[in-house]
Amino acid sequence: MLKSWRNMGLIARREYLEGVQSKSFRVTTILLPGAFALVFVLVFLSSKYMGTNRHIAVATDSPQLSKEIQGQILADKDADATVDVYQAPGGGLTMGDRAALVEKVAQSAIDGFLWVERGGNGEFHMTYDARSSADFVTNERIEKAANDGILRWQMEQKGSAVTEVDRLMKPVDLETWQVLHGHEQKSNALTAFYSAYGMALLLTMTTMIYGMNTGRSVIQEKTSRIFEVMLATARAEDLLAGKLIGVGAVGLTQIAIWLAAAGILTFSGLVAQVMTGKWQLHIGWEQVVLFVVYFVLGYTLNSALFAGLGATLESEQELQQYAPLAAVPVWLSFGMITIITSDPESKWVLLASLFPPCTPIVMFLRMGSRG
Amino acid sequence: MPVVALEGITKAYEDKVAVNNLSFSIEPGQMFGLLGPNGSGKTSSIRMMIGITFPDSGNIRLFDQPFTRASLSRVGYLPEERGLYKKMKVLEQLVFMGCLHGLTRAEASARAVTWAKKMEIDGSLNKKTEELSKGMQQKIQFIAALMHDPELIIMDEPFSGLDPVNATLLQDTLLELKAQGKAILFSTHRMDQVEKLCDSIALINRGNLVLGGNLREIKRGYKRDRLVMEFEGDASFLNSTEIAEAKNYSGHAEIRLKDGADAQKLLAEAAAGAKIFRFELVEPSLEEIFIQAVGGKADA
Repeated sequence: MLKSWRNMGLIARREYLEGVQSKSFRVTTILLPGAFALVFVLVFLSSKYMGTNRHIAVATDSPQLSKEIQGQILADKDADATVDVYQAPGGGLTMGDRAALVEKVAQSAIDGFLWVERGGNGEFHMTYDARSSADFVTNERIEKAANDGILRWQMEQKGSAVTEVDRLMKPVDLETWQVLHGHEQKSNALTAFYSAYGMALLLTMTTMIYGMNTGRSVIQEKTSRIFEVMLATARAEDLLAGKLIGVGAVGLTQIAIWLAAAGILTFSGLVAQVMTGKWQLHIGWEQVVLFVVYFVLGYTLNSALFAGLGATLESEQELQQYAPLAAVPVWLSFGMITIITSDPESKWVLLASLFPPCTPIVMFLRMGSRG
Repeated sequence: MPVVALEGITKAYEDKVAVNNLSFSIEPGQMFGLLGPNGSGKTSSIRMMIGITFPDSGNIRLFDQPFTRASLSRVGYLPEERGLYKKMKVLEQLVFMGCLHGLTRAEASARAVTWAKKMEIDGSLNKKTEELSKGMQQKIQFIAALMHDPELIIMDEPFSGLDPVNATLLQDTLLELKAQGKAILFSTHRMDQVEKLCDSIALINRGNLVLGGNLREIKRGYKRDRLVMEFEGDASFLNSTEIAEAKNYSGHAEIRLKDGADAQKLLAEAAAGAKIFRFELVEPSLEEIFIQAVGGKADA
């Protein structure tokens, strides 16, 4: 028994040293968080600049209404739009005017036009014609601006003063507070969710990568004669256990480096300046400890799965072909993101939490959704 | 007391019988050759001896006890192909293998250095295994198998990849180990090496034991009808009625005599026209015995 533990320790030590001394360890330790940071920056920038710089024409049968809508669209500074008010040559809008605007869109003179009609019962009907109907950010902005513009115009028509309308329509910010352990505290839902989302992604990558490394290591030893030499020396159980512990320790070392780096950055002036206000990042000790716990559990599960595959397959290429199947629980977990964020305590979310392949990711997303 | 004994072991993989009712034993201080063409069942037999696979029937005894993994601490194994971690440095690798066999790091390190000097690879101890030639790797593998001073040494094709100088070094080391009382089994399809080194053999083909026992006794069982001659001059004596088959390599002739042939008569015929430097009646080579035994039906 003692020899068995000793051999397990020796094999784990060998796997660990080989892992941390490898080039791939150094590269992934630096590049993986870098790649994540790049993805987040790209997502942030694409969401920031999505639906901006549009050239739009507004066509209504009332110049005053057109100006109100134009004002509302221009008030959205993030949109950075150019808005023309279409003046119908004949006063009222005709199908000829619509055809002229369609022609302008077709010739790329404008990106799109908003067409507002009033029915006999006073109800409004709006259409937005553009080259891309999938530009949902612009569609949403125009819909909101047009509704606000119509409301303002109607209030003014009913005799409200412009200052009174401005006061009534001034938006009110919603602050989110969280009830935690029976007490309420201000929370930043957005950053809490994104930090948990980032940690779930990191957890997925590391547990998958190191799980696959275990499978790959099994195949490498099996296809060379190392496996024979080792089996003539140590028990198969000790060999596998040592491998799991050693490769897992490499993953934990990488995570420890990332956490230490994140800690240093968080307390450094550089990040403190960038992550202020609503982007202020808070990662609690609870999350750090659970990250390590879920890594160990997720890695153990994945490595057992890949080691089993490695034992039955003949080459690393074959193992690679099975990787998408092993990633199904990951897709499933991230696919549930809307359900998790809207109701982290729902029955389906609880069930997914109890399904081991989904547990680490779902639990982190739930933590993020709870703020 | 035999160090290892195989008692009627049989092993089949699906419908292919790799080893069929094989029995032999090896005594301490004995050099044993497990012979046979490629695919004859040598490696399968060895794998069962070291517990990598288990026989479907029959028994394996190590050190006069039924097989247990604990006995493997007294066995050294060298596989047919390199079984080394390519990224590890040679010294680390040897220390690791020694420690797995129960040595302390200091003990393993000291033994690794001593063996490295003996095998003339001490200059490569701090190199990664992948940086070394095949022959060097084979020597490292050889040392790894001997680090824990095993009583039974099992080597699968130990001379493959070695140049003649290193093959001789390995042979000499094996002979030293034999002199120390170690039991050595090596498998090979190179019959000349076995002939030179082994006391006993088991010759297998298609999983079956074709010949087994003391090599000298086996050879004594075959007629001395082989004649080696070295001569200069008229070679017409090679057409003598005493000869069944003859090969002449420019003055070096290998001759098989007919049943009941008179060698002295042939010598007289040869001496009449040629100058004779060598005239030797030799026993058949192991290779010839093997071909006779399997009737030319080897798999290789």
